[in-house]
Amino acid sequence: MTRQWQRSTSASWATSFLVLLVLSALAGPAARAAQYLQVFVTAPYLEMHTGPGRGYPVFNVVDRDASVDVLKRYTDWFKVRTARGVEGWVSAHDMEQTVLADGTHFHYDTGDLAAYTSHRFEAGAFFYGDYGGASAVSVYGAVFANPNLSAELSVGEFLGSASNGTTFDLGLAHIFYPQARLAPFVMIGTGVVHTEPKATLVQPDDRTEQSAYVGGGLRYYLTRRFFLRGEFKEHIIFTNRNQNEQVDEWKFGFAFFF
Amino acid sequence: MEIRLRILLLTGLLALSGSLSGCATLRHLFGHEEAPAPTPAPADEGASTDRADDSSPPRVIEPEVERRNIKVPRIKSQDIELGGYIGTLNIEDFGAHRVFGVQLAYHVTEDFFFQAEAGRSKAGRTSFETLSNISLLTDNERWFKYYDMSVGYNFLPGEVFLGRNHAMTSSFYILAGVGSTDFGGDSKFTGNFGAGYKILPTDWLAVHVAVEDRVFNTDLLGVNKLASNLEAHLGLTVFF
Repeated sequence: MTRQWQRSTSASWATSFLVLLVLSALAGPAARAAQYLQVFVTAPYLEMHTGPGRGYPVFNVVDRDASVDVLKRYTDWFKVRTARGVEGWVSAHDMEQTVLADGTHFHYDTGDLAAYTSHRFEAGAFFYGDYGGASAVSVYGAVFANPNLSAELSVGEFLGSASNGTTFDLGLAHIFYPQARLAPFVMIGTGVVHTEPKATLVQPDDRTEQSAYVGGGLRYYLTRRFFLRGEFKEHIIFTNRNQNEQVDEWKFGFAFFF
Repeated sequence: MEIRLRILLLTGLLALSGSLSGCATLRHLFGHEEAPAPTPAPADEGASTDRADDSSPPRVIEPEVERRNIKVPRIKSQDIELGGYIGTLNIEDFGAHRVFGVQLAYHVTEDFFFQAEAGRSKAGRTSFETLSNISLLTDNERWFKYYDMSVGYNFLPGEVFLGRNHAMTSSFYILAGVGSTDFGGDSKFTGNFGAGYKILPTDWLAVHVAVEDRVFNTDLLGVNKLASNLEAHLGLTVFF
């Protein structure tokens, strides 16, 4: 019976794989049929690389005033097609030397300190986490109302010797001096903690409790769209026991904005 | 009130039609077939706008000075990579078994990316279990399920040539991260690190070969130790 189930699970995985293959096959031609943005070269020439990376050799140049179609973007590289049908990759830096049909400059935001100061969304992952002595893994996402204020949602799992569990936090964060490379911030919010105590002589039940937190941290802009984020949260877990529980949480991780 | 206003306006219009014999619109109205003047004098333009719109006949020449709005097509981005993999996971003390997983990556720059993986495998029996015929784990506890979040770095990018006419981009990468492993009835904080190689037959498709180690502390077999679980897998991903 279990064997059979295992086989069916494997079969479903294989099916997912096949679906993925078919989807990817469909995605290709669909992309080719799309309408592309046309830009005109204003620099003496535009260099086309064989791949999307600084090391790939230049194999073609487009003359001034000639146009290229912008097919797609991968990180800071744009795949373009010339009028003669030659396709290659152009760096975002070089693309800044082109104009659109209406004469305006082509602009792509590669992420800089200005964008770090004011952006709409950010997300990150905490690779170091300590949740009341337990190791923790978590991710977060934030939406900004203005450069100072954001609403944040974080989801995490903590894995300790006494218990495991998951945490969901929703709150507000206020950044002081968002224009500074190193900026402090404070947080406040509420959440839910699901705790699964580990087996002891008497097996306690899993429990889901509401929590609230206050905290603060530092964010440090690295480069492009990257920044580091470290924070401390003090959680109060509202238990139905005699005393509420207090949990200290330390986290450190990478984040990016977009 | 409205009728009175209309009569007033019509009277005004009639009076104007006498005085503005050069107005192209009105000449046309009264059956004159001469070619309209190429540009009406500014004074006439001003006079005609004074009249109420609903009573004036439609213009023959509408000035088309509207700015052409160029709709800028959106550039498709391909920073997200999604796919699956199949491979072999060596679960410490429990043998090597087939592993299936899914992976999702976000490429921030040409060098760095974030990656999340989730996979599962099913452990076999330890040699002790085989010899003594005692089961340490239930069937359900033998599922080895994990997820991880990693930061990856692409290095040694290059091109692979297939014959004379085909070149595929390729790259090595290293990654390290943290996650959780659910095995033997318990979830463990797990560190993972590994390296891989990918080839892109087209811009949107990548074939991966990767080796990763998943390390966690376990006391499943009585003593607390660091279990190292090596995994080798072959993956297929799509960029979108």
